[in-house]
Amino acid sequence: MAAVELSGVSRRFGRTEALARTDLRVEPGEIVTVLGPSGSGKTTLLRIVGGLVAPSSGDVVVDGMAPARARATKRIGFVPQRPALLPWRTVEDNARLLLQVNRGAGPPGASAGSRDLLQQVGLGDFLGAYPHELSGGMQQRVSLARALALGAPLLLMDEPFAALDEITRTDMRHLLTELCEPLGTTILFVTHSIAEAVFLSDRVAVLSSRPGTVVGIERVDLARPRSPDLEDDPAFFAIERRLRGLLHEGMAR
Amino acid sequence: MRTRTAVVAGLIGLAVFTLAWELFVRLLDVEPFILLPPSRIIGELLERPGFYLQATLVTARHALAGLAIAVVVAVLLGSVLASSRFLEHAVQPVLMLVLVAPWVAYFTSIVVWLGRGDPPVVFLVALVTMPAFVFATVAGLRSADPAARELFASVDARRWEVLWRLRLPSALPALLATARYGSALALAAAYYGEGGNLTNEGLGAVGRRAANGQNGPVLWASVLATVLLGVVFLTLISLAERVLLRWHVSQRRSLLVGEPEPPVP
Repeated sequence: MAAVELSGVSRRFGRTEALARTDLRVEPGEIVTVLGPSGSGKTTLLRIVGGLVAPSSGDVVVDGMAPARARATKRIGFVPQRPALLPWRTVEDNARLLLQVNRGAGPPGASAGSRDLLQQVGLGDFLGAYPHELSGGMQQRVSLARALALGAPLLLMDEPFAALDEITRTDMRHLLTELCEPLGTTILFVTHSIAEAVFLSDRVAVLSSRPGTVVGIERVDLARPRSPDLEDDPAFFAIERRLRGLLHEGMAR
Repeated sequence: MRTRTAVVAGLIGLAVFTLAWELFVRLLDVEPFILLPPSRIIGELLERPGFYLQATLVTARHALAGLAIAVVVAVLLGSVLASSRFLEHAVQPVLMLVLVAPWVAYFTSIVVWLGRGDPPVVFLVALVTMPAFVFATVAGLRSADPAARELFASVDARRWEVLWRLRLPSALPALLATARYGSALALAAAYYGEGGNLTNEGLGAVGRRAANGQNGPVLWASVLATVLLGVVFLTLISLAERVLLRWHVSQRRSLLVGEPEPPVP
């Protein structure tokens, strides 16, 4: 059974077609990135999988159930574009937030405690700090710990590192693989950074310009665990080059 | 600016104002029934501190009870209105009417309905302060971060959870800002209500009796006691802001050169 399966999914907003008929299948434990230019419907696709937006047509199955059901049973960990930390909560309380909400559903899987996760993302000394006391990168680490604390089998990540500087951004993708590779969490990641897509993914789905649809899927045959020096590897560059070609193809359509 | 410097500056400002007032009345020989020198008013307060303290406590009780009712009703009503633009637009004109209607006009009706004593004064205070709190609640609840709302939706948070954990804390800055203005309005309403024959207790009643007997010092002493009570209210609200809004931008120190710094606890 696929972790995520989209069949013929499309979405219109009024007269604008954001997403044209799209098919995509993500296997359990797989990390799949959706790569596309601005306005190609990447975020819409992610919201459809997360059950936050209903598709205009087509079918979506998450973990064998409808997205709304997966959401209600807390099977989806969501990492939004902005960290969206609650400014009145400390770092530790923010990391616990999703566990405290909709308790009835309970976390579907066991996770490391939120305190342990904060240690792992390097924020062990900031448990009692408030979001405004943190840098952008640190805030995004809290957001990551918050999603992982849920122990959900599926993580949806919506350009979480887009607002960060290049150095922090690179650190963050290294941190993400370090945390998620051993867990075997299924991840659907959205980005417009080619290097990010290659480093993180098992497969990369490239979307065309609006209305977005998958123009090609590139398998990333690089060994795991992935280490930072992989980004200097000729094989890495070769995949980047192929993805750039697919992106241009999608933008020319 | 350091807190101590700010307090000293405030005291100097008050002292200069009081001195100028005193000199104005004495040098220009202003008639006592027009304006009294501050020394006479303070003297009157100090002569019968127990009497004024008791009346002040009554007025404080009226104002606080009215404010508490107004906030509770406003938060409940505001939570409902924030969920529907239609309801909000339907209720808004009614609230505006309440806000601008002259209170004196319905004193008699309130007395006939509730009798005399605490209830009519508390009702008046609650009625006139409530609309501003409703507007603040609706605006505050709607100001919740959309990204955070999406995050709550991603785990199917219940409506009350979104309200309690996200929307209400988001509304707190607006509610506390409104409380500053609301506390002044509450005191005015309590004073007018007590003075408008709704009760025989409180600073307003003291002021009314003094005005009827043309007793200037007592009338002005009741006004000064109301002002001092207002200062206490504002101080309490400031303290509440520092504790409850530690995270809010209004309570943070500015590091920018040349920018005024917010108050520091």
